[in-house]
Amino acid sequence: MTTAKINLVRRDQYIFEIPKSGEMNVPARIYTDQAGIDDLLESAGEWSALQQLVNVACLPGIQRAALAMADIHPGYGFPIGGVGAFDPTDGVISVAGVGFDINCGVRTLRTMLTREDIAGKEDRLADKLMEHVPAGLGSTGELRLDEKEINNVLEKGASYAVGLGYGTTDDLGFIESSGKLEGADPSAVSKKAKQRQMKQVGTLGSGNHYVEVQYVDEIFDQDAAEAYGLQPGQITIMLHTGSRALGHQIGTDYLQTLEAASKKYRIPIRERELVCAPINSPEGKAYYSAVMAGANCAFANRQVLTHLIREAFEDALGTPEEDIETLYEIAHNTVKFEQHEIDGAMKDVLVHRKGATRAFGPGRPEIPPRYQHVGQPVLVGGTMGTSSYILRGTDFGMDETFGSALHGAGRAMSRRAAKKQYPAKSVTHRLRELGVTVRAHGKHAISEEAPGAYKDIEAVINAMHGSGIVQKVARLKPIVCLKG
Amino acid sequence: MPWELLDHQADVGLQATGNSIEDALADGVRGMLSLMVDPATVQPQEHWVIEARGSDVGSLFVDLLNSVLATKDIENAFFHDVVIESLDQQDGTWHVSCRLSGEAIDLAKHEVDSDVKAATYGGLRAEQSDDGWLLRCVLDL
Repeated sequence: MTTAKINLVRRDQYIFEIPKSGEMNVPARIYTDQAGIDDLLESAGEWSALQQLVNVACLPGIQRAALAMADIHPGYGFPIGGVGAFDPTDGVISVAGVGFDINCGVRTLRTMLTREDIAGKEDRLADKLMEHVPAGLGSTGELRLDEKEINNVLEKGASYAVGLGYGTTDDLGFIESSGKLEGADPSAVSKKAKQRQMKQVGTLGSGNHYVEVQYVDEIFDQDAAEAYGLQPGQITIMLHTGSRALGHQIGTDYLQTLEAASKKYRIPIRERELVCAPINSPEGKAYYSAVMAGANCAFANRQVLTHLIREAFEDALGTPEEDIETLYEIAHNTVKFEQHEIDGAMKDVLVHRKGATRAFGPGRPEIPPRYQHVGQPVLVGGTMGTSSYILRGTDFGMDETFGSALHGAGRAMSRRAAKKQYPAKSVTHRLRELGVTVRAHGKHAISEEAPGAYKDIEAVINAMHGSGIVQKVARLKPIVCLKG
Repeated sequence: MPWELLDHQADVGLQATGNSIEDALADGVRGMLSLMVDPATVQPQEHWVIEARGSDVGSLFVDLLNSVLATKDIENAFFHDVVIESLDQQDGTWHVSCRLSGEAIDLAKHEVDSDVKAATYGGLRAEQSDDGWLLRCVLDL
């Protein structure tokens, strides 16, 4: 792939456009700053995120524009940070638009604790998190589920975990889609996928998945911070994980199904990973039902882990479980039917978000009543040495990006290069100097996830804030980080 | 030349080579295994026969890698090595059968690295030249 022929036009300070041309059905838009665009053009080698975005713009039935957020970087098929909304009658559904970690997402917990409550106890807390939260390759959870129980997870999502004693019903109201997506069909999920998950519900995984204890460093929007229950110095906890092996197997299974469907329905495919099926075809409907089931598995997984995090805090600091509340949970590898205004009329569209989160503006009924007047919390994980952010969705974002925003800092360096450049010992030492205590399972997890391997979170957030798609509410700084 | 990992900003590219398709497939499996756990720490105490299929050599490669990942989770095992036992093409479908050797996961003993979520069609290549076969794909980490 090459970006040599890509024509980029600056539409606004933070909005760039690749005008519709050739096989593109719509333009492509990138919400970032000039430096972000320069980086994309300079780093475009064999895997070009901009070319991937153009390929998405060529898919049938795509609405308005193929969109990318400031954390855009190359993925497979879709770029990471990519959003594509499709007409339900003549549009398509794509495995690459969701990814293999279906409904991977972030939950933020707010606590009654302050920095002073944790000072001097960071190592104890890190050790207890390590002890209570199964993480890393090869780890298994305390739950052992048979196929019938897995089917319950796939149908009921987070509420099934609550029924088993993991967390409370209070958590459910603050999860995107209340922790359960309709339309899940366990029979659309293979036996192999279910078998892979029997020991993995309640596990963190590896790679960029983590549990991070943070404090509120700065408030930017007092009204929204008040609605979200945030104040300076307060301890929050961020959990990042997904649907584990079950989601991975659904992606694997349907890659073959959708490849056959692409040929059957003669859908022009510019990159093989972008295989897709018409939304209304039997193959498209089956994949959608399977993704809903995989999403419910991710909701249940994060619900179980929330309980385990509460146990770790109680064990380490004596914190009562009720002092740790779910602020919100959002997902960033999803496909969903949503209503959006297109050409002056509300219309159903199927929105793919690959490494991008939902970011609904004020008044949308999908948002918890407590947050309706300020907009949906948008949880953005940074790196273990910099900052994470809580933002809020806006009306402009609803008009521009189907209410979608970024999901993280976005990688700037390959894992291989990071491994060479950042020896784990020096990263751990540097983090300790910054006041961050880190634990990891994987041999190279600390090197691969080194803060320097990511884009500058401040620049990425400022570009998204500047574009008006989202607004800054609070900056969070890390204290303790557990990596898989 | 044995398997090679290729730079990819978010994930990792895997390139495998071999004189034959069988050799290249085995090379790719070894590459992916090495990414997850140090194979030298895994003993070949048990074996599992797994199968994969594809409409061409590229999709066969991806399906084989994904079958290895599924077997790891279902059998709760890490693998030491792979032997390709048979490869054929019938009615336009490629089919491979192979034997994995390894043992039950023991985190006190096995040195783990990155989990691989899935092998993808991203950057997929399956090419034959005078030097043999070259297979490539992006692994989602």
